[in-house]
Amino acid sequence: MKKQMIFAQFFKNNGLLMGSLLIGLVGFWVIVLVVLPQLSMLDYSFRYNLPPADLGGPKDVYTLHNYKHLLYGAEGSEGTYNTVDLMVFVRTIIAAMLVTIANILMCYPLAYYLGQSKGSGFVRLLVVLLIIPYWINEILRAFALRIIFGDSGLINEVLMLTHLTSEPIDFIRQDIALYAGLGYAYILLMLFPMYNVIESLDRNQIEAARDMGASWVRIHRRIVIPHAKPGIASGATMVFMLSAGALAAPQVLGGPSSLWFTQLVYQWFNDSLNWQQGAAYAMVLLVSTIVIVIGLMRVFKVNMGDIGK
Amino acid sequence: MSSKFVSRFALGAYLIIFFSYLLGPLLVMSLTAFNSSGFPSVSPWACFTYEWFTVLFKDERILGSILNSLKIGAGTVILSVSMGLAASLVLTQVWPKLRTTYYTLIIAPILIPGVVLGISTVVFWDKVGRMFGPSTEAFFHNGLLLTILGQSTFIASYCMLVFVARLQRFDPGLTEAALDLGATHTQAFRKILLPFMRPAIASAAVLAFLASFENYNTTTFTFGNYPTLTIELAQKVRYGINPSISSLAFIIIALTVFGALAVEAVRRNSARKEAISEGKAVAKSGSKLPGFLRGNPAAFGFVGLAIVAIVMIGTAQSHDPQQCKMQVREAKQVEIQKRIEELRQQRLIKDQTDARQGPDIFGTPDSEGSDAPKAPSGSGAFGGVFAPTNLDNEDSD
Repeated sequence: MKKQMIFAQFFKNNGLLMGSLLIGLVGFWVIVLVVLPQLSMLDYSFRYNLPPADLGGPKDVYTLHNYKHLLYGAEGSEGTYNTVDLMVFVRTIIAAMLVTIANILMCYPLAYYLGQSKGSGFVRLLVVLLIIPYWINEILRAFALRIIFGDSGLINEVLMLTHLTSEPIDFIRQDIALYAGLGYAYILLMLFPMYNVIESLDRNQIEAARDMGASWVRIHRRIVIPHAKPGIASGATMVFMLSAGALAAPQVLGGPSSLWFTQLVYQWFNDSLNWQQGAAYAMVLLVSTIVIVIGLMRVFKVNMGDIGK
Repeated sequence: MSSKFVSRFALGAYLIIFFSYLLGPLLVMSLTAFNSSGFPSVSPWACFTYEWFTVLFKDERILGSILNSLKIGAGTVILSVSMGLAASLVLTQVWPKLRTTYYTLIIAPILIPGVVLGISTVVFWDKVGRMFGPSTEAFFHNGLLLTILGQSTFIASYCMLVFVARLQRFDPGLTEAALDLGATHTQAFRKILLPFMRPAIASAAVLAFLASFENYNTTTFTFGNYPTLTIELAQKVRYGINPSISSLAFIIIALTVFGALAVEAVRRNSARKEAISEGKAVAKSGSKLPGFLRGNPAAFGFVGLAIVAIVMIGTAQSHDPQQCKMQVREAKQVEIQKRIEELRQQRLIKDQTDARQGPDIFGTPDSEGSDAPKAPSGSGAFGGVFAPTNLDNEDSD
C-alpha cells in the first residue's frame, strides 16, 4: 500500500517516460548486474563440478563440498586441515591489513600538509603530480616495481655499488616487492579521501587549540583526527578491500612459492576450469572481507554513508 | 626558530621520500624504454635506442588489444554514465528511510573485489545463456559484452559519486518552474537538468573510460576472445619481459601527464571565470608569456610534448645505435675473454701448487692452458685428490 504511494509520487515527480527510464536503468544495474550475479555465484558455490550432460540430472544437488575443500583439502583427507590454502587466506587478510595501516601512516602527514596549506601554486602542482600515477595501468605500476626490485634491478645495483651487500638480495622471493607493490597500488585511494576531509577542517580550531597551549600531539589527537575520521575510514575500507582482492600485483610481483588468495581463485577458475570451486573461494573472500570491514566500522563508529565521500 | 627549521626540513624530506616512492618507479621504467639491453634495466646502461618503440609498433597483438580496449571503453562509458546518472537522480528522491539501504546497495560494487565481480558476471550470464537455449549461448559468452557488463557494475558507482557531488548544487526550483510553465518532464530534463550536469557528465565519462581501460581484475575473467590492452600487458609481463613494454608505458605516461595538465587547466580556467563573474578578481595582465601560454599548464605540456616528439623523431632519423651496440658487444666479448683468462690463471696457479705439493707418484700435472677446464686436478686417475689444498681450491672455481 505504502509502496504504491511512493511509486505514484515518484512517477508524478518525474513523468511517466523519465520515471520509467530512471527505474529501468537503476533496476537493471542493481538487480541484473549486482544482485543476481552475486546470487548465482552463491548458488554455483554449493554445486558439484559436473560435465554438461549431468546438469539438471539426479547428481545436480546442493553440497558443501566446495567449502569443505578449503577447510579440509581434497576428498579422503578428512580430519586434517587444508593448511596450504588456509595459510594463504590468513596471510592475505593479515597482509592486506598491514598494507592498510602502513598507507594510513604514510598518507596522514601529506594529507594534513596538503589540506591545511590552502591554494598555493606549489600545493596545486603536488596534487597534479599525485594524479599521474593514479591513472597508470595497475599492471604497468607493478612492472615498474619489478624492474626496480629485480635481481639486477636498480636497488640491488645501488646496494652492490655502495658495498652494502655483496650479492643481490632476492626481494621478489622475500615478498618485499609484493608488499611494496600493494602499498604502492592503492595509496592514492587513501590519500584523497583524507585530503578532502582535512581540507574542510576550519583552521581556526587548530589556532585556538594552539593558543590555549595544546601540544602538537594533542591537537592532532583531539581535533584533526576526529575530524578526519570519515575520510580515514573511507580510505582504509577501499585500500583494504582492494588489496585483499588484488590480482595484478601478486601475479607480477609475488614470489614463486607464495600465493595470494585471489590467485587461488584465479587458478580454480581459469586453470582447473572448476568454476564451482572458484566461486566458493571467491564467496569466502567476499564475505570475510565484508565482515571485517563492517566489524571495524562498528568498532570505530563510522557509517556506511561516509564511504566514497 | 630552530624547531621551525627542523620541522620544515622534516617536511621536505618526507615530501621527497613520498614522491620518489610514487613517481620514481615510473621514471625508471620510462628510462628503460631507451636502453638497448634486452632486459629492462637502467644500471648497466648499454646504448640509447628507439628500437623498442619499433618492436612495439610491430606487435600485432598489442595493436589489436588496443582496439578491443577502445570498444569496451566506449560501451562502458555509455552504460555506466547513464546508470550512474539515473541512480544519483533516484537517490535525491528516494524515501528517507530507504536512503541508507539504497546508498549501500549502489556504493557496494566499488568495495566488492574485482575478482568476485568478474566471476559472478561470467557465472550469471552463463546461466542466462543456458536458460535461453544453446542458440543464444554464443551471445552470452561474448567477451566484449561480458566485459562491458562486468566493468559497468562498479564503474557506474564511480560515476554516481561524481553526479551526486554535482547534484548537491542543483536548485530543484528550476525544474519546478519549468514544469509550472508547461514543459513536459522530458523537456525539463533535457533543457534544465542535462545542461547543468554537462561538466559532471564529461568528467564521469573520462573517469569511466580510464577506469575501464586500466581494469584488470574483472576483465581477466570476462574477456573471452577479446583481450584488452591490460590483459595483453599482463600476459607479456608474466611470460617474459622485454623493454617494449617500457616503451608502451612511456607513451602512456606521456599521455597521462598531458591529460592531467589539461584537466588542471580546464579547472583553473573555470575557477577563474567564476571568480571574474563574481567580481572578486580582475583578469590579470602584464605577464610576458604569450596569452595562450599564460596560466595554462596544458599548453605548456602540449608544447613540451610536441618538442619531445619532434626531438625523438629527429634523432631517430640520424641516431644509429648500431655502432654503439657493436661497441657494447665488443666490450662484452672482451670482458668474457678476461674472465676466461682469469679462470685460466687460477687453474694454472692451482695446478702448480698441486704439482708442488701433491705426491709425485700420481703423475705430473698437465698445465697447458687449453686443457685447463677439462683437467682441473691433474692427469692421473686420482688427480690431486690427496693434495691437502685441493678442497680449498675447488671452492674458488
